[in-house]
Amino acid sequence: MPRDFWIGLVVLGFAALYRIEAGKIRLSPLDGPVGAPGLPKLLGLALGILAIVMIVRGLIEHFRGRAAPETEPKVEPGEFDASLGLRPHLRAAGILAIGIGYLLLLPVIGYALGIMALILTVSLYIGATLDIRTIAVAVVGGAAFHLLFVEFLGIPLPKGMLLGMLR
Amino acid sequence: MEGLSYAWTTMTSLSAILAAFAGVTWGTLGGALPGISPSIAMALLLPFTYTMDPIPAIVLLASTYVGAEYGGSIPAILIRTPGTNAAAATAIDGYEMAKQGQAGEALGISLVTGVIGGLIGLFFLVLLTEPLAKVALAFTPPAYFALGILGLSVIASLSQGSLVKGLMAGILGLMIATIGTDPVSGVNRFTYGSPELLGGVPFILVMVGVFAVSELCIQAGKPAWDRPESTKIRVKLPNLAMLRRLNRPTMIGSGIGVFEGCMPGAGGSIASFMAYNEARRWSRHPEEFGKGSPEAIAAPEAANNTVACTALVPTLSFGIPGSNSTAILLGGLLIHGMQPGPMLFVQRPDVVYGLFGGLLIANFAMLIVGILIQAPAVWLVNRPKPYLMAAIFALIFSGIYSIDHSLFDLYIVLLAGAVGYGMRLLGFPYLPLVLGLVLGYMIESNYRRSLLLTNGEHRVFFEDPVSLGLLITAVVFVIGSAIRDYRAARRQKDRAA
Repeated sequence: MPRDFWIGLVVLGFAALYRIEAGKIRLSPLDGPVGAPGLPKLLGLALGILAIVMIVRGLIEHFRGRAAPETEPKVEPGEFDASLGLRPHLRAAGILAIGIGYLLLLPVIGYALGIMALILTVSLYIGATLDIRTIAVAVVGGAAFHLLFVEFLGIPLPKGMLLGMLR
Repeated sequence: MEGLSYAWTTMTSLSAILAAFAGVTWGTLGGALPGISPSIAMALLLPFTYTMDPIPAIVLLASTYVGAEYGGSIPAILIRTPGTNAAAATAIDGYEMAKQGQAGEALGISLVTGVIGGLIGLFFLVLLTEPLAKVALAFTPPAYFALGILGLSVIASLSQGSLVKGLMAGILGLMIATIGTDPVSGVNRFTYGSPELLGGVPFILVMVGVFAVSELCIQAGKPAWDRPESTKIRVKLPNLAMLRRLNRPTMIGSGIGVFEGCMPGAGGSIASFMAYNEARRWSRHPEEFGKGSPEAIAAPEAANNTVACTALVPTLSFGIPGSNSTAILLGGLLIHGMQPGPMLFVQRPDVVYGLFGGLLIANFAMLIVGILIQAPAVWLVNRPKPYLMAAIFALIFSGIYSIDHSLFDLYIVLLAGAVGYGMRLLGFPYLPLVLGLVLGYMIESNYRRSLLLTNGEHRVFFEDPVSLGLLITAVVFVIGSAIRDYRAARRQKDRAA
């Protein structure tokens, strides 16, 4: 089956779920003729119809044995290299995982240390080697961010529990 | 005259001048980095505009767009890697000139023709925007609803990817816009007990996630870009004889830029390639194209810099951003409580004409900054990619946190980044998603207000002549796009047979 068929199925499932959830939105006496759930219900329906169109098109392509050109994903040239398989996607997931790790650690280690760790980790992850230069970039970069956001702009970024315990 | 006065006030205001220079500098540096598009450079600045006055904030964003269009040509000429999509046409002959030892001349041509293109674009922006905005008084709630639907339909039809996927992306944007407390009845929708979601999902989080974080994810899987062979390249401005030669391709590029900029969804990339082709067709030396022709740099650079101004025509007149960059600019207006569209000229003429004045400064600032910033830009392109990407990631997290001091917002940004990555992977255009989110409130509030007037009767949308006209145009766009897709499929089929 063409990829769009499976995308259509997933979107149809999402549209159904969204429509069910939209039905649970309570009505208010302040509502007009449409009400708070009105537009969400309409959107769920519209998305479902489009998903069905995509599924039907996918089925037609399948039975004709040829993918219609407009259903092929049109991405930026060179954006994804198919020959690399899953590797680029795993690397992309890694960036998001580093971001989540930073957010989890931030309340504990604080912004100053956290931002240095973030710069160091992302640099190493994207291809820098662990040497004095990379560590210096992380320390100087982190200090520059701390100066800009905390000292200059006065943003109350988390100080971290670690610093509190050390004090 | 009142407009001129507003523009003059901005042009003589220190904060606006500083914003224009800062925006052009940031945009040039951002545009010079492969992978950092004008929209990403602008998105990274958005959090900093929250605390600024509206006019300098908007001038800052617009100037970034102007600067990024020139910045994109620097790596295009030096290492044949366009910093922005719109600079791809410049890379063809720009790099050839660089190989012949004329990198400085190529950069000078790009700079001067870009500035000329920008000024021509600004002229047409002023000329076209105000008459269009005069239809403001004819707009009623049904017309505003229809305008929102038209905007989404046009962008979904013209964006990259199939029509169905474009429409799906637009609906997804509208769905995100419904999250939070309903502004009419106060009922919570899709918040699931989370207090952070009561105020809805701020579009800035989605914009930064979809544009910047998804790009970082893509860059993580790509090898490092090349580095310029020489780091001591100076911009050499063209002399009078050369300017005379470049006159025709510059005008061709600007003409195409005016037309393409006003068309939502077209953008600088299409304009610059069209300009390249037309300049070759009308050139006295077409055989030089592809081998380092100065005309082949002038035409696309004039085109994409013209687009940087004329793309604001649909954004300011109708509140419909035609490109990613103008969507960010629209976000900047919304941050300061302004709804782009016809009423903006009535409610905040100071901002609109201030923007025009700011763009004039930005285009002249481009000449100065373009020469001065050459060395730092080349230095920046020479920095190892991992450090630059790490710094951008740190800037995203720090900038977004500074808006509401909320870690929850950062999780939303990461989620939006994952969604943006998935959309790019599966061939979904993400401009309709952003537009759906941005226009969501306008569409829903005017839809419900219209039905209040008629006690739930949908005929109100067909009785109002403006609304009817806009809805018919939306249908024409969708049907036209479907026919275009069908014909493309048939042609492909015939070719295969």
